[in-house]
Amino acid sequence: MDIREFKDQVFAAGREAGLEEMEVYVSRSKDFSVRIFQEEVDDYTVSLEQGVGFRARYGGKVGYAYVEAVDEDSIKLLVEGAKANAQIIDSDDEIVFFAGSAEYPEVVAFNEELGKVSPEERIEFAKTLETEAFATDSRVALVNWATTGYGETDVYIANTKGLEQSFSRNAAYSFVSAMVKEGETVKTGGRFLFKNDWSQFDAKKQAQEAVQEGVSLLDASTVKSGEYRVLLRYDVVQDLLSTFSSVFSAEAVQKGLSLLGGKLGEQIASPKVTLIDDPLLPNGGASAPFDAEGVATKTKEVIAQGTLTTFLHNLKTAKKDGVESTGNAFRASFKSPVGISPSNFYIKPGEKSYDELVQELGSGLIIIDVQGTHSGANPVSGDFSLGAYGYLVENGKITRAVDQITIAGNFFKLLESVEEIGSDLEFGIPGYGGNVGSPSLIIEKLAIAGN
Amino acid sequence: MLTERLVTDVLLAALSTGGDFAEIFMEDTYNTMIRMINGQVEEGVTGRDYGVGIRIFQGTRSVYAYTNDTARENLMRVALEAAAALADTPQVKSIVLARMAVEKFNPIVLEPRLVASTDKVGVMRKAHTAAFDYHEQISQVAVNYLDVDQNVFIANSDGLMADDRRVRTRLSINAVATKGNEKQSGFYGPGRHMGFELFDHIDVEEYAREAARIAVTMVNADYAPSGKYPVIIHNEFGGVIFHEACGHGLEATSVAKGASVFSGKLGEQVASELVTAVDDGTIANAWGSQNIDDEGNKTRRNVLIENGILKGYMVDKLNGRRMGMEPTGNSRRQSYKYAPTSRMTNTFICAGESSFEDIISNTEYALFAKHMGGGSVNPATGEFNFAVAEGYLVRNGKIEKPVRGATLIGKGSEILQKIDMVGSNWSTGQGMCGSISGSIPADVGQPTIRVTEITVGGREEAK
Repeated sequence: MDIREFKDQVFAAGREAGLEEMEVYVSRSKDFSVRIFQEEVDDYTVSLEQGVGFRARYGGKVGYAYVEAVDEDSIKLLVEGAKANAQIIDSDDEIVFFAGSAEYPEVVAFNEELGKVSPEERIEFAKTLETEAFATDSRVALVNWATTGYGETDVYIANTKGLEQSFSRNAAYSFVSAMVKEGETVKTGGRFLFKNDWSQFDAKKQAQEAVQEGVSLLDASTVKSGEYRVLLRYDVVQDLLSTFSSVFSAEAVQKGLSLLGGKLGEQIASPKVTLIDDPLLPNGGASAPFDAEGVATKTKEVIAQGTLTTFLHNLKTAKKDGVESTGNAFRASFKSPVGISPSNFYIKPGEKSYDELVQELGSGLIIIDVQGTHSGANPVSGDFSLGAYGYLVENGKITRAVDQITIAGNFFKLLESVEEIGSDLEFGIPGYGGNVGSPSLIIEKLAIAGN
Repeated sequence: MLTERLVTDVLLAALSTGGDFAEIFMEDTYNTMIRMINGQVEEGVTGRDYGVGIRIFQGTRSVYAYTNDTARENLMRVALEAAAALADTPQVKSIVLARMAVEKFNPIVLEPRLVASTDKVGVMRKAHTAAFDYHEQISQVAVNYLDVDQNVFIANSDGLMADDRRVRTRLSINAVATKGNEKQSGFYGPGRHMGFELFDHIDVEEYAREAARIAVTMVNADYAPSGKYPVIIHNEFGGVIFHEACGHGLEATSVAKGASVFSGKLGEQVASELVTAVDDGTIANAWGSQNIDDEGNKTRRNVLIENGILKGYMVDKLNGRRMGMEPTGNSRRQSYKYAPTSRMTNTFICAGESSFEDIISNTEYALFAKHMGGGSVNPATGEFNFAVAEGYLVRNGKIEKPVRGATLIGKGSEILQKIDMVGSNWSTGQGMCGSISGSIPADVGQPTIRVTEITVGGREEAK
């Protein structure tokens, strides 16, 4: 059944059941991935899927339902499910069904050329990841990941207020991870890439960087516990920023779950820090002309030179605060209710290269990976205590690798103690915390536990 | 459901390019999620997941395709599209399907879909009130209710044809305590492979008060000292350390490729001789149990480590081919959107002989990790990290005071050797385990154990 036809039938059935307002959020995606192990295609996955998220107002309250099969049975499930779920809602939050923005920005996030790359070419790419990883260093014992994939997604929103918008996006990714071994010591090094421009995928470079990182860690040992001046590599800052991105959500603020509540207009970070949410970024992993409620998106500075300028809003939180939605309504999938998330969310880069930052660090630690952000970080308090590894720097030079340490601190204090910002802005993998990007940062001090 | 004729045709189409094994996994799942914050229901979502996954092997090559359009012409198209990844002449020309008798040892009494939403909300309110009233410092309580009714049909070119139903129900309670500018949270998430009768088996209010108690204890605690020193890990969810630090390394997913520290170590002493560890998918109504796994194998009780000696791995069909081993009933996946692979079910360290009191009273100085948060591991190196959700300092044989903010890091293989006391107070806790075949329910468990030293991360230096 065509999705527009399906929507009309759902709305008709809903009206009959007494639903007052209705909205469908449909996502359809086509994905491909291939993984190579020992020169063979180890895994090859193709998929075509769709899902319909439905929400409806009944008795003034809004309930949700979703289906994946688009058929007669599903119409009944959606209408009856949403109606039943509306009836258990206590919250008095006013949920708005949006008729549409006056205009929508032009956003480029679908690359036709990327979609034309053949499966054979992608398989070849993954094979090259593995071959080049082995070729880089004789200590590579195993390439435990050599994979690449491609996906395209269409989103379609329509409601009984007259909203009807759609949008397509595509992207490719690749990941290589090598296990390197010297004597009894085993380390892994990996590199992930997520872009929608195939010309930016260089298997040889990616494999070499992964292996070189693994090899560079072979002489790692711990350090003495204490406070260290720290250079956080861009990908570590991405991890932290995406873990704590909910503190900028108006929903968290209104529920008393963000310590930034009441701090609009205040200095909350070092004056060097400007944090941008840019849904219009060309070819960004989270770029879109409208958000999950159909509101036109726009670019804004969330922190401008250290000052907190706005929270991220959807229609519900905006209404509560008496402001405009910032276009940050978000549904993790068609199954999820509307929440809030940043889009392309990044710290504005500075002037200095990574190497210059290493020199400037003088003596301290470079952290290149943190583990356990899902468990060892508390977005409510801002506290984190995470497994980490990286390098020891003395007199502006890397002297050895460091592992078996934890870094502990507080996200809000970290924002205040940013001393230097690099020019090496990179984005990570789009996820629940947005498509987060950052350059590398020098932090005045963090508590390190070793021995 | 699919007809036998269609199943056979799709499997043969999947094998038309030289595959030696093909499998269909069909799923029809009903989900309910209700979210309550501060006693108010904020969201209710019900939904139906529906689709088919088709898997093809040629030797150790694997192809997977999935779709949620189950019309004949689409399934045939998807089977052929997947088959196109291989390019040989067909080896399998006929399939005879035989229905497998599946022993249903996880009885379901109250089907969640037949229970009124208001009853579900009623349980949530009880939990909310118990947590909220626990202490004046409790500032927020979030309660989530979840039920899943998963119906699967599995058929393969070896002739297997089986179905199974997995009904799971879970309540999770997150309490936040506030003191001045500080906030700490406490969590409990009891769940079972059962229907709404779960709430006849567990005391919701007791779990809610525990979540609140953890939050209040932690908001009034000092930071944990950092450094390398003894750690006592409590029972129940404390088993997450074995799950992450060792369990993942015993999955064929990493063992088969030599990507695990436990590869090639069968029969070797890998742990202290006090340690016996098991993965058991056959415990009636346990959170991680299933009547059959997602390849149609009966689940089993698999001894992983016995008195410190490595006895076995958790093996799925594909990795079994690489390893020359039979599947162990551990093949699992989140949904039809994932190819299955070897995963844990209910995994735990078995009970030992020491009493809890003996462990504490025989300890001069240690961190007592009463409740663990989550963690993760790099299976290739065995390096893990865990958050301690509720910690205490033990000094001179006594629990001295609560401490917060501790993280445990180390290598699984080293920790296993350093376990020097194992308690008799075995119990389990529930978690969601994420890996390449998605997020699946899994029980973790152990008695209280003592480890001679672990690196404890925190903000204060040890005194």
